[in-house]
Amino acid sequence: MAELELKPVGTRILTDKDNIVDMIEKYTKEDIGPDDVVSVAESVVAITQGRVARPEDFKVCFLAKILCRFVPQKGSLSSVYGMQSLMDAEGKWRVLFAMIIGMFAKIVGKNGVFYELAGSHAALVDDVTGTMPPFDKCLVYGPLEANSVAEEIKRRLGCYGAAVADVNDLKRALVVGASSGLDPKKLAHILIDNPFGNASQRTPIVIIKNYAAVERRTENLLSIE
Amino acid sequence: MEILVTIVIIAIIMAVAVWLFIAKQGDADFEFKVNERTEFKLVDQTEKTATFSCEVAFINKGSQDGTIMDAFPRHLLPYEQFDGVEVNSRMELTTALRTDNYFEAVIIPKGTGGIVIVTVTFTAKTGNIKDALQNLYDLSVDMPIDIVYQIVARTPWYIHKARMIMNCDEINRAMQAKGTAKWEG
Repeated sequence: MAELELKPVGTRILTDKDNIVDMIEKYTKEDIGPDDVVSVAESVVAITQGRVARPEDFKVCFLAKILCRFVPQKGSLSSVYGMQSLMDAEGKWRVLFAMIIGMFAKIVGKNGVFYELAGSHAALVDDVTGTMPPFDKCLVYGPLEANSVAEEIKRRLGCYGAAVADVNDLKRALVVGASSGLDPKKLAHILIDNPFGNASQRTPIVIIKNYAAVERRTENLLSIE
Repeated sequence: MEILVTIVIIAIIMAVAVWLFIAKQGDADFEFKVNERTEFKLVDQTEKTATFSCEVAFINKGSQDGTIMDAFPRHLLPYEQFDGVEVNSRMELTTALRTDNYFEAVIIPKGTGGIVIVTVTFTAKTGNIKDALQNLYDLSVDMPIDIVYQIVARTPWYIHKARMIMNCDEINRAMQAKGTAKWEG
């Protein structure tokens, strides 16, 4: 009986000279079956899209210098460049608005409002050190059109589905893009233990083997019950 | 008019409050303890080359986490001062050893630090390295090395330098300790 299996796939360092779909095909083609789901790390998708920037390239505004001070220092937005990158992506007035509302929300005990209001980039930007060399000295934005990327991977490889995921060792998993028919929350739960490993392991692709078969079996069991 | 004054007063109070908050929060503050470094030791020698290394501790003594984005040693031995050797230097963290002279950006939490290994290789331009370093010692040539490091924290990035001196006496001692020097210090 087919069981769910997570299979990390190593690659060379991918850059903006690479097409992510071509690279996934190159490194996984032999391992992919029709019941499998291919997941890829969102930062690597972003890197192949050229969505990286050096701190030296930013023109930091006064507001970014102030607002970054109100983000806990473990967060990517706690540096002036993380905050500036968010302002560049989402607009500085939107970020200011989100910060003010977020502060009031926090006072009344509701966390996460800032990230909800500040735009999708707020949760996806990786500050320096967030990715492996040679991108450790860069900020990496979230990927563009993650759903389309996932659809293209699925179409090219003939697999059951594909997803672009942001996963870390802190038990945080977020599927930022998925091909049609996949449940992002379910995928995030499967990836929660970070099968991508840390950056130095260079495994930005994880094949979720037998995903569809297990899903079918579960549905059958539920229908019998 | 009263409304306008009230708004201005509130704005001033808020600005002062933010300023006080930022001032109290502080920032990362790095120090490379070059004055407390270990002595250079000879770690490798060939006919043409001699390689020395020492350890330098650093600390983030500030009140915020900070990131060392890049760090490298800059040796300063102009040919006008001594023309007998070519010099290469590199630096690596003891927690992330590597020989490619690439310094991977690293977050240093407040109140913590680490140790870097500074490695210097002398290559004799002519003849063998023993004679070249003998000549360096005879001429009493000391070589400054700047540890150049780029920091990013709550404030925009900046570059600092911390200078240490690799003096000819310790080169001599290191060569003697390995039994490779042919001269007396």
